[in-house]
Amino acid sequence: MKKFFSRFYMALIFIFMYAPILTLIVLSFNASKSRAKWGGFTLKWYVDLFQDETIMGTLWNTLSIAILATIISTFIGTVTCIGLMYANKKTRAIVMNIANIPMINADIVTGISLMLLFQAMHVTTGFGTILMAHITFDIPFVMLSVMPRVKTLNQNTYEAALDLGATPIYAFRKAVLPELWPVIIAGGLMAFTMSIDDFIITYFTKGSGYETLSTLIYSEVKRGIQPEIYALSAIIFVAVMFLLILVNVIPKIRSDRKARRGRKKIAAAVLVLCLTATSMGTLTACGTNSSTGKNGKLYVYNWGEYIDPDLIDQFEEETGIDVIYDMFETNEVMYAKMAQDSSAYDVICPSDYMINKMIENDLLQELDFSQIPNAENIGESYWTSSETFDPGNKYSVPYCWGTVGILYNKTMVDEEVNSWDILWDDKYSGQILMQDSVRDALMIALMRNGYSCNTDDEEALEEAAQDLIAQKPLVQAYVVDQVRDKMIGNEAALGVIYSGEAIYTQQENPDLEYVVPDEGTNVWIDSWVISKNSKNVENAHKWINFMCRADVAYKNFEYITYSTPNEAARELIEDDAIKNSEIAFPDLTTMKTEAYQYLGTDVERLYNDKWMEVKSAD
Amino acid sequence: MARELITLEHIYKSYGDQLVLDDLSLMIKENSFVTLLGPSGCGKTTTLRIIGGFEYPDSGAVVFDGKNITDLSPNKRNLNTVFQKYALFPHMTVEENIAFGLKISNKSQQYIKDKVKYALKLLNMDGFEQRKPDSLSGGQQQRVAIARAIVNEPKVLLLDEPLGALDLKMRQGMQYELMRLKNELGITFIYVTHDQEEALTMSDHIIVMNQGYIQQEGTPEMIYNEPENAFVADFIGDSNILRAKMIQDKLVEIQGAKFACVDVGFGQNNPVDVVIRPEDIELLEPEKGIIKGRVLNTVFRGVHYEMEVEAHNYKWLVHSTRMKEVGQEVGLYVDPFNIQVMNVPESEDEEAISELEQTE
Repeated sequence: MKKFFSRFYMALIFIFMYAPILTLIVLSFNASKSRAKWGGFTLKWYVDLFQDETIMGTLWNTLSIAILATIISTFIGTVTCIGLMYANKKTRAIVMNIANIPMINADIVTGISLMLLFQAMHVTTGFGTILMAHITFDIPFVMLSVMPRVKTLNQNTYEAALDLGATPIYAFRKAVLPELWPVIIAGGLMAFTMSIDDFIITYFTKGSGYETLSTLIYSEVKRGIQPEIYALSAIIFVAVMFLLILVNVIPKIRSDRKARRGRKKIAAAVLVLCLTATSMGTLTACGTNSSTGKNGKLYVYNWGEYIDPDLIDQFEEETGIDVIYDMFETNEVMYAKMAQDSSAYDVICPSDYMINKMIENDLLQELDFSQIPNAENIGESYWTSSETFDPGNKYSVPYCWGTVGILYNKTMVDEEVNSWDILWDDKYSGQILMQDSVRDALMIALMRNGYSCNTDDEEALEEAAQDLIAQKPLVQAYVVDQVRDKMIGNEAALGVIYSGEAIYTQQENPDLEYVVPDEGTNVWIDSWVISKNSKNVENAHKWINFMCRADVAYKNFEYITYSTPNEAARELIEDDAIKNSEIAFPDLTTMKTEAYQYLGTDVERLYNDKWMEVKSAD
Repeated sequence: MARELITLEHIYKSYGDQLVLDDLSLMIKENSFVTLLGPSGCGKTTTLRIIGGFEYPDSGAVVFDGKNITDLSPNKRNLNTVFQKYALFPHMTVEENIAFGLKISNKSQQYIKDKVKYALKLLNMDGFEQRKPDSLSGGQQQRVAIARAIVNEPKVLLLDEPLGALDLKMRQGMQYELMRLKNELGITFIYVTHDQEEALTMSDHIIVMNQGYIQQEGTPEMIYNEPENAFVADFIGDSNILRAKMIQDKLVEIQGAKFACVDVGFGQNNPVDVVIRPEDIELLEPEKGIIKGRVLNTVFRGVHYEMEVEAHNYKWLVHSTRMKEVGQEVGLYVDPFNIQVMNVPESEDEEAISELEQTE
C-alpha cells in the first residue's frame, strides 16, 4: 500500500512536470491550427518551419549568439577560476561574489543597465550588444561550474609537469585541463542553455532588425503563436534533453578508459557542429546586415506575424531599399521604445488610440500624400473612422481594421443575436467568454448602455463596472486569444472576438457565427505612420505607398486574413464568399461604430481603476 | 672526494612580511644523500623549491654544476622532484604518467617502453602499467611518482616529504628502498623531512634547519652525538638538556654535582648547556652514582624501559633495559664521553628554540 502511494506520488510529480511539454509536442503534430481540435497527424509544421525564412534566420541568430557567447564566456570564466586558484582566500571570495552579481540580479535590472550603458557609450545595438550581454550573464554560470573543481585541484600536478620538462602551456594543457574538461563542458552547456533561454536581457539589448527566437515568439503574441513555433519548441526541447543526457554521460564515458577515443570523437563532433553552426549563423547575419541596399535603409516596426514576409522581399527588390523589419507585441511596448529613441524606426503600424497619443506627444510627422498616390485605394469610410484619432487624416494611412463582436455557436444558441444583452442572459451561464482587456470589456458595457466607448463620464463608467460585476457569475473566463480555440472546440456558446479572427474560426468550425450588436461596437484600425525624427522619410513614404498598392494589399490579405481597408484589393478577391463577407467587409456606414481615442493620463487611470474593481470582485 | 654539485649562496626569501630564509648558504656534493631536516615552517621545503625552480629567491644565487641557474625555469633544470602528495596525473595510466617526461624530450617509442618497464621493475611495480593512479595504494602511488622522476635520468632527485602520507610499516620499507635506489642509480638525493628518525636512517649528510637558519650540518652520527645547540639536541631524539657550569676543561657542574667530561675550551666557571641522551644514563645503587634520584614512573617500550627519575627537582629521562621499581632510590652515572657540552644560546633566534619547545 505504501509502495503504491509512493509510486502514485512520483507519477503525479512527473505528470505535473512533463504534461505541458508533452502537450506542446503533441500539438506540433496536429494538422489543425486550433489548440482545441485534433485535425489528424501531420509533419506540415516541421516542413513549414524549415521553409520559414524568418524563423530559420532567427534560429541562426539565436544559435550564433548562444555558441559565440558560450565559447567566449567559457574561456573567460575558466581562465578567471584558474587565476583565482592562486589568489588568497579573501580576494577569491570578493571576486566570486562580484562575479555572481549578474546571476543573482534580476534580469530586468541587468537588461536595463546594459541598455543604458550601451546608449551612454553610443554603441549601436544589435548582434554585438546582445553578444556582449549574453557573455556577461553567462560567465557566472561557467564560474559556478568550474570553481569547485579548481579548488580541489592538486597544485602540484602542474608543477610536476613543469618539473618533467613541460613548458607552462604544455603543462597546463596536459596536467590541468584534462582535470577540468568535464566541468568546463558542463559550464559551457549551462551557459548555452541560459543564452538560448534568455528573453528579458536580449529584449533590452537587441537593436532594430535583429531578433532571437525568444523575442520573435514574444512578438507573435498578438495573433497567437503559430504551430511552427510548437514544432521548433519541440525540437529545442529534444535538443536540450540530448545535451543534458550528454552532460551526465560524459563523466561516465570518461571513467571508462576504453571509451576514451569515443569521447574524443564526440567532443570533436560537438565542436565541429558548433563551429559550423556559428559560421553559418554569422554568414546569415552578415548576409542580412552588411548588404546595405543601394537606395538606403528603412526601419519598419510592425506587429508580430502581421505581414506576408514575401512582400518585404518584393519591396526590397522593387525599390533597392534595405528593409530592417522589427516586431512589437503591444502598442505600449512600441510606445516605450519610440519615446526612448524617436528615430529608431521610420515607419510604424500602431493602433488607433496609440496614434492619437503619439500625435499628442509629438512623435509623428505629417504625411506627404503626394508621395502616396495609392492612398486613394483606401475606402472613404475608413478615413472617416480614422478622424476619431487622427483629425484631418494628416498622420496615418489605414492598414488593417476590424470590429469587436460576438462569436456564437449556432448549435447552442437558438435565437437571433443582435444585442450585447445576450452576454447578460442567465441561460448561458458558464458559456460566455470575455476579452481580458480594459478597453474592450468596458466598451461592451458602455455601448450596451448607450455611452461612447471613449467617455470620461465617471458615472457612466461606474455603471459599466457594476454591470460587468453583475455579469461575472455567468462568465466562464476572461481570456485573451483562447476565445478562438475554445469556440472552435465547442467549449463555450458565446465569445467576444475580433472580426479578423472570426473568419478563421468559421473555416475551422462552420457552426460558428459572428455578429456586431445593434448598440454598436468599437472599430479598431491599425495604420501606417512615420516617426517625427525618421532618417529615411522618403523611403518610409515609398513603403506606405507600396503597402497601399492593390496587388500588394490583396496578397497581404490572403496571408494575414485581417480585413483590409483597401477597396481596390477587395476587388481582386476571387472567392465571392469572402469578397462579400459581412465579417471581413461590413458596411461601416450602416453600423454604429466608434474607434478608440487616447484618453489622457487621468481618464486612463479611471478606466484602469474600474477594471481593477471588476477583476477583483467575487 | 666527491665534487660540489649544488651551491646555494646567500639566499633570502620572504613571503609578505615573513622572512623564510635568512642568508642561507649550503653546498651539496655529488652522489650524496642529503636531508634537510627541521620542524614545519623552518624553510626546508622553500629551500627545496628554490633548488627545483618553483620559487625564486629574493636575492642570492643557485649554482648547479658550476652554472648559475637562479632564474632558470623548472622545465630547463636537470633535476626531478617527487612531491609530497605524489602529484600524479589522475587522468593518465601509470605508464602514461611515467612516460610523460620522456615524451617531452622526444625519445623513441621503444626507448620509452623499455625505460618505463625498467623503472617499474626497479620499484617492484611490474604489471601496473595500465592502472589509473586512484586505483593504487598510497605506497604504490609513491613508487609511480618516483619512477616518473627517475626515468628522466636527472642528476639530482628532490624528494619533498615523500613518505609523509604512508603508515609506519610502509614508511620503514620505503626508507630501505630509497637507499637501495640511490645506490643503484648513483645520483644525488635531496630529501626533505621533519622526521628525525628518517633522516638519521637514510642520509649521508643532514642539514638541520630552524626558522630559516641552518642550525647544524654533518653526518647523522655527528648530529646525534654532538648536537651543537639545544635545538638540535632536542629535535634529534630524546635528550636531557640542562643548564650547567663549566668549572674547568673536562669538568662540568650539573645540579651541584661534578661530572667528568671530555669537552675543552669553554673557559672557567662559565654557564653552559649540557646534553645527555637518556640511553647514556646508567642507574646504579644510590651511593655508586654521581647524583641520587628517585624513580617516578616506568613505561615498557619494547626494546627498553623508559623511566623518569627525579633528582634536585629535575626529571631525568632514562632508557634502560633493566627495570627499576617506582619509588626506588637510584644513583645516576654518566660516562664522560656521553656528556655533550654546548654554548648557551646568545642570539634571539637561538632563544626562539625554547618557545618552540613549549608549543610542541
